[in-house]
Amino acid sequence: MTTTPPPRVRMTGISKRYGPITTLSDVSLTLAPGEVLGLVGDNGAGKSTLSKILSGAVIPDAGTIEIDGETVAFTSPADARARRVEMVYQDLALCDTVDVAGNLFLGREPRRRVAGLPLLDKPRMHGDARAMLDRLGIVIPDTRQKVETLSGGQRQSIAIGRAASFDPLVLIMDEPTAALAVAEVEAVLDLIRRVSAAGVGVILITHRLQDLFLVCDRIQVMYEGRNVAERRIEDTSIAEIVDLIVGHKFEARSAGHSREQTS
Amino acid sequence: MTGETPSSPQAAPARLHAAAPPRHRQATVADRLIANGSVVSIAVFFLVVCLLFSVGTDAFLTRPNLLNVLRQSAPLLIAAAAMTFVITTGGIDLSIGSVLALVSALSAALLQFGVPWPLVILLMLACGGLIGAIQGYFIAYEGIPAFIVTLAGLSIVRGTALLVTGGYSIPIDSGSPFVVIGRAWVFGVPLPALIAVTMLVIAFVVFNETRFGRYVTGIGANREAVRRAGVDVRITTLAVYVISGMAAALAGIILAGRLGSGSSNAGQGFELEVIAAVVLGGTSLFGGRGTIVGTILGALTVAVLANGLILAHMSPFLTPIVTGFIILVAIWLNFRLFRGSLRSR
Ligand SMILES: Nc1ncnc2c1ncn2[C@@H]1O[C@H](COP(=O)(O)OP(=O)(O)O)[C@@H](O)[C@H]1O
Ligand SMILES: [Mg+2]
Repeated sequence: MTTTPPPRVRMTGISKRYGPITTLSDVSLTLAPGEVLGLVGDNGAGKSTLSKILSGAVIPDAGTIEIDGETVAFTSPADARARRVEMVYQDLALCDTVDVAGNLFLGREPRRRVAGLPLLDKPRMHGDARAMLDRLGIVIPDTRQKVETLSGGQRQSIAIGRAASFDPLVLIMDEPTAALAVAEVEAVLDLIRRVSAAGVGVILITHRLQDLFLVCDRIQVMYEGRNVAERRIEDTSIAEIVDLIVGHKFEARSAGHSREQTS
Repeated sequence: MTGETPSSPQAAPARLHAAAPPRHRQATVADRLIANGSVVSIAVFFLVVCLLFSVGTDAFLTRPNLLNVLRQSAPLLIAAAAMTFVITTGGIDLSIGSVLALVSALSAALLQFGVPWPLVILLMLACGGLIGAIQGYFIAYEGIPAFIVTLAGLSIVRGTALLVTGGYSIPIDSGSPFVVIGRAWVFGVPLPALIAVTMLVIAFVVFNETRFGRYVTGIGANREAVRRAGVDVRITTLAVYVISGMAAALAGIILAGRLGSGSSNAGQGFELEVIAAVVLGGTSLFGGRGTIVGTILGALTVAVLANGLILAHMSPFLTPIVTGFIILVAIWLNFRLFRGSLRSR
């Protein structure tokens, strides 16, 4: 008897309370290697909290996480990073007064030994940073620029580049296209296609539903801290997803004709 | 989107718009100066002060006097270099003057009990490090603001020093090798100055060329970002206070050696002098921006002022007044000139 390989990520029974607010209650999520999962829901539905739990930034009150069939207990983002789970945070998580290369390599700066001391390998950092940016099509003229001098789109690109460039198994993107211009959004969608084709499991959180239909295999809908629906992309439409997100039949014109855009 | 263009997703097949000259030029020397505006402005102040005293007094610009300034400012330089780390994380350490006093009193007392001097030095450094670690624990792991923790530390440590000595100063036998640390000359340079220079070089390298230094700056800029990058920000924050405590202890050892006595009243207001030097050098009290070079210049400016005013036969009480004005003007220059020009370019 052959068994199918375990999913790359399986989260079951995840619950999280913040004081009186139950942010997540008995939430599950699975992700296969190479799969792109769209995670949608109204503001406050708990998408960011669920993804932060998977990235180790938030510790759940209950529930289990398995990576490739092995139960893990992330107590810090370092643990998740060690299991090659990377995340682009909605609130970007960049250091304004550190330069571009420093932010790209934050937490894993290359070092070289100088007289036995492990010092930062700055030439390599800047060289590799340049290569990373070029590979992702991010236009930033100088990797020695401080991040505070960059535009919102450039900052977002750096956060994405940092998560995507270190060979992740799971890549979580929490509203990565919020500050991006048209061409940059296309570049991000392209990046998602490319990394998922290479076997990376991607979780994409976005309010741009048309994007989901361009890259996702599956969509999971959350409502007030619970899973309410899961659809394969070929079995659903933007109109249905909108209904599921708001929790009732929604007669908005913005949802009406968007189906056509995807075909 | 149709085809996949993995190498550069944004490479447009045909340009719709005429090519324009690049919008970014390579950083010029002027750009670099403006980017380091805070260091430049304190360097200008330092040179002006030196120039004024060189012209105004005969004794200032002489080798013995300059070496003497360096010797006297060694404790300030060492503590200020450590304080730069603390302030760059967005913290503060108000306890260093008290730690300096406790160490100077305790080391004198231990020497009187006949404890060998190398052991005294090690014990005192450990004592400073331990005080820093305890304070760092409350700041980094319990989340209590550094100002409050180290204000309490200032009080407790000073009180302990007073209790140990009963308020008296304890003499150190001038034959003891311990006083050598404060008084000896090596290669024509005072030993305290040599120690200070060594510490400053180490501080510079650690601050600018190591992961630890990176995370110190990062924590001051965005602590949560550094944590999410997988860095243990709590141990890093704690370490900064250990460094500060040990630096204060070293300053206390040097001071006790130079004065030949340990006093629980030493270092009153030392923490403020050190913070002034760091802020004068351009390190931001809000964290995220620090410079060791600026701190050195800031500390030397304070030291040269004190020395020069005495040589110019002016009241030494003018020193804090002038220092205060320079802090105000230097910071004001930073805000107005350098930041302003950055924005309006
Ligand atoms: N650190 C926190 N402290 C208190 N409440 C929080 C915290 N993080 C999230 N919440 C609450 O949890 C709910 C879900 O938030 P979030 O996961 O950010 O939702 P989403 O990303 O789907 O918009 C919100 O009501 C929010 O107020
Ligand atoms: Mg969110």
